[in-house]
Amino acid sequence: MDTVKGQQWLIGIFSTLLIVILIIVAGMEMEKSHATKPEIEIDKMTARCITCHEEKGIAVKQIDAWKESKHAVMGIGCYECHEAKKGDFDAFTCTGSDILIGRHPTPKDCAKCHEQQVKEFANSKHAHQFWLLKNGDRAVFEFPMATRHGCEECHQVGNIWPDGSVGECDVCHAKHSFSKAVARQPETCGECHVGPDHPQIEEYIESKHGNIFKAKGKHWDLNYSTKDHQKIPLEVPVCTTCHMDGNETQPMTHNVSARLATESQAPWSFRTVWDEEHLGNWKKKRERMEEICASCHAPDFYKMYFLTADLVNLQYNEIRRQFVYWTKKLTKNGTIHRLQRDGKFFSSPVLNGWDELPEHNMYYGWHHEGRRFRMGAEMMAADYTQWHGIWEVQEDLTELIKWAAEHGDAEAKKIAKSNDPTKFITFALYDVPGTAWGIAAKTNTTPFVYNNLPDYWDRVYKNVEAAFQHGLLSEDQWQLWLKRYKNKDYYLGLKFANTPQVDSTWNFYKKRNDIDLQKMKEQVIDLVLPGKSFFEGR
Amino acid sequence: MNFKDWFKERFPIDYDKFVEINERIFIKEPIPVHMKKWWYCMGATPLILFALQGLTGIFLAFYFVPSPEMAFESVRHITQDVRFGFWIRGLHRWGANLMILSLLLHITRVFFTRAYQRPREFNWIIGVVLFGLSLTFSFTGYSLTYNQLSYWAATVGTNLIKSVPLIGHELLYLLRGGEEVTANTLTRFYMLHVWFLPLFLVFFLILHIIVLRLHGVSEPEGFPKGKYFPFYPHHFYKIIIATLFLLALMSSLTIILPPGLGTPADPTVTPFHIKPEWYFYPTYRFLQLVPLKVGIYVTGAFLIAFTFWPFIEPLLSKKNEVRRKISWGVGALTLIITLGLTIWESLV
Repeated sequence: MDTVKGQQWLIGIFSTLLIVILIIVAGMEMEKSHATKPEIEIDKMTARCITCHEEKGIAVKQIDAWKESKHAVMGIGCYECHEAKKGDFDAFTCTGSDILIGRHPTPKDCAKCHEQQVKEFANSKHAHQFWLLKNGDRAVFEFPMATRHGCEECHQVGNIWPDGSVGECDVCHAKHSFSKAVARQPETCGECHVGPDHPQIEEYIESKHGNIFKAKGKHWDLNYSTKDHQKIPLEVPVCTTCHMDGNETQPMTHNVSARLATESQAPWSFRTVWDEEHLGNWKKKRERMEEICASCHAPDFYKMYFLTADLVNLQYNEIRRQFVYWTKKLTKNGTIHRLQRDGKFFSSPVLNGWDELPEHNMYYGWHHEGRRFRMGAEMMAADYTQWHGIWEVQEDLTELIKWAAEHGDAEAKKIAKSNDPTKFITFALYDVPGTAWGIAAKTNTTPFVYNNLPDYWDRVYKNVEAAFQHGLLSEDQWQLWLKRYKNKDYYLGLKFANTPQVDSTWNFYKKRNDIDLQKMKEQVIDLVLPGKSFFEGR
Repeated sequence: MNFKDWFKERFPIDYDKFVEINERIFIKEPIPVHMKKWWYCMGATPLILFALQGLTGIFLAFYFVPSPEMAFESVRHITQDVRFGFWIRGLHRWGANLMILSLLLHITRVFFTRAYQRPREFNWIIGVVLFGLSLTFSFTGYSLTYNQLSYWAATVGTNLIKSVPLIGHELLYLLRGGEEVTANTLTRFYMLHVWFLPLFLVFFLILHIIVLRLHGVSEPEGFPKGKYFPFYPHHFYKIIIATLFLLALMSSLTIILPPGLGTPADPTVTPFHIKPEWYFYPTYRFLQLVPLKVGIYVTGAFLIAFTFWPFIEPLLSKKNEVRRKISWGVGALTLIITLGLTIWESLV
């Protein structure tokens, strides 16, 4: 090969090789340009629909949306979903044609291809029309014209169709692109999980998760699959990440109840028994959720977080017990009344009632404020646990007792007239030493419970133990609680409360606070304006 | 009037002289016979690759935007949307790797044939400068893609400059355009990569070739001395073959192992494993093994010895045989250590 002839041969061989490789490169380029703009093959039937719809200008945008969908790429056209047989509840002949089509493709139609997803969904609480069951006749207060585009719009998610199927897939997978990215967008969940009675979207945005998503998520591609035990491809979770998507250990599911352990929307917080035959008990469901948490967090953190949230739920029950006690008592002794007509009741002292203040307080204490208190604690939304939650629950209860006192109830009068600071805690308490966030050296030194109620922790211990023995906390949780209880001084920070370094930091801010107060007094409190009041009586 | 006359009238150069010079300098350049062997004639490989890098680099510059917001996105755009973009990027990326590899091989060949000996000492030093420039080229180019790995490689890489005595901090500030790796760093690296480095590299490259031509190719021991063949066609063909082979190789590598995109750079999240490109592995591993200051000074001392070896070697012995043994020993030891450190780093 050292001769010129040999070299010419080599040049020939390598030129040919290069040409072959360049042809492969060109082939890849062609394939790539096809891949980025998928070729949509429109079958004859779909072509008929599209032509006519475009000619008449009916729902044209839906056709554009469909063209963006995976359905279009996979050759699933109009008729595959809108097919109908004569006698179907939604069958009609499309105007100007002889095509019999179904107006409302139902989950039954979706299940032709997405059987698993439809089945999982049907087993979830999304599919359950609980609001129709007990005292559901809210038309007493919210008449039908208001519920059409109110209750009924959101609860369409669990609609029972004339064909017996349940749910509506495009509530989340907006038609006709049926995009996974749209379904994953937190605002999609927030279409319904919003507002005073279940502000999950607001709570999400308040949480660290939501905050980071808002800041960085604008360019994230939410259109991914989590079927095959892949890592979560996001830095922080969106709603579906925890409630539906898979991760390394958990399969993806359309059953949103699969990872929830507590019925914290219900009038009483109780451990869920929903679909136990498929999903296992609440501990199993909690394990599933923890497996998702474990993708990003250490067990130390999320186990303590959940324990605290669970205790908030149990605490809620004890306050709820008070509401029910009062409304039942006041109903029984005739101070307040149930709505009735022809011997049938239309309100309940333990659920609702619309015309008398105690009923109103009881309802709000559960359905609005009580839920915010509990859900805020579950979803890292401090303000919803606190000011939109427990603060308002307590106001409801105080108002109710004050009303009862004003209407002659002796027991209520005793509470209302009392000057003791415990008058607001007419129920048993739960607690846990410290938080998941760290050790707070000063926070737990305020005098009320710790100094004035010397048996505080003994009583709390007995309550938590009772809850555990009653099956409301797991063995794991009880052990975690005990660990903290036994090292109370550490977890409450009391051990450090009076160390020189903490004292010196604390005194620094105390001094600043004194300056603040002094200046507030000088600037405004001591200010007397010469213009005086215009009301002559003063 | 034929075209030749028409042309000569407008550009009145001495055509015959031009042909003569061209024949003397290029066509009939005397090439020593040992360069008929493939092992000895590949010094032009880095030159070929540099030319291809220049060409593909110009194409990439059509689309690349050197800003933190757009850098990653424009690389993605080139790779995924632009026609033949993935191929051009693949050629550029693999070209960069092959260039370093070919330089390492070239250096190894030159060192073990001891072509750096008097009177060619300065061409060795120019070569070392060229190697340094090529490494800087690779480092700045790698950082431009602005994905997580390249961003942090840039951060860690530039951080080392702090260890330069006295002016370390100022140098770092100058290079980064601030305390941190930011938009300023990106534009600085871009200007280095597409303007200053090519300028310097072309300058030293021409110098390298001029010095080479002035001395003629060195003739290693063990080959008949004083026998030559003309540049054209034999060596010219070899360069053509090498070019075709390299193009085919880089295209194949692009098909089989296309350069990925990674995840966009996130200055707030430090990745668990920060690794530079493979050719920095020996240095990187070494710096992790010893205290940073020690590492920097030892590496610096090595670089000085490496650069001035042609002048150091004669000081070690008067006997050629002894000098050769020392050089081969030092060379073999360096090879074993660098290879060992490279393998070590790629395993952890």
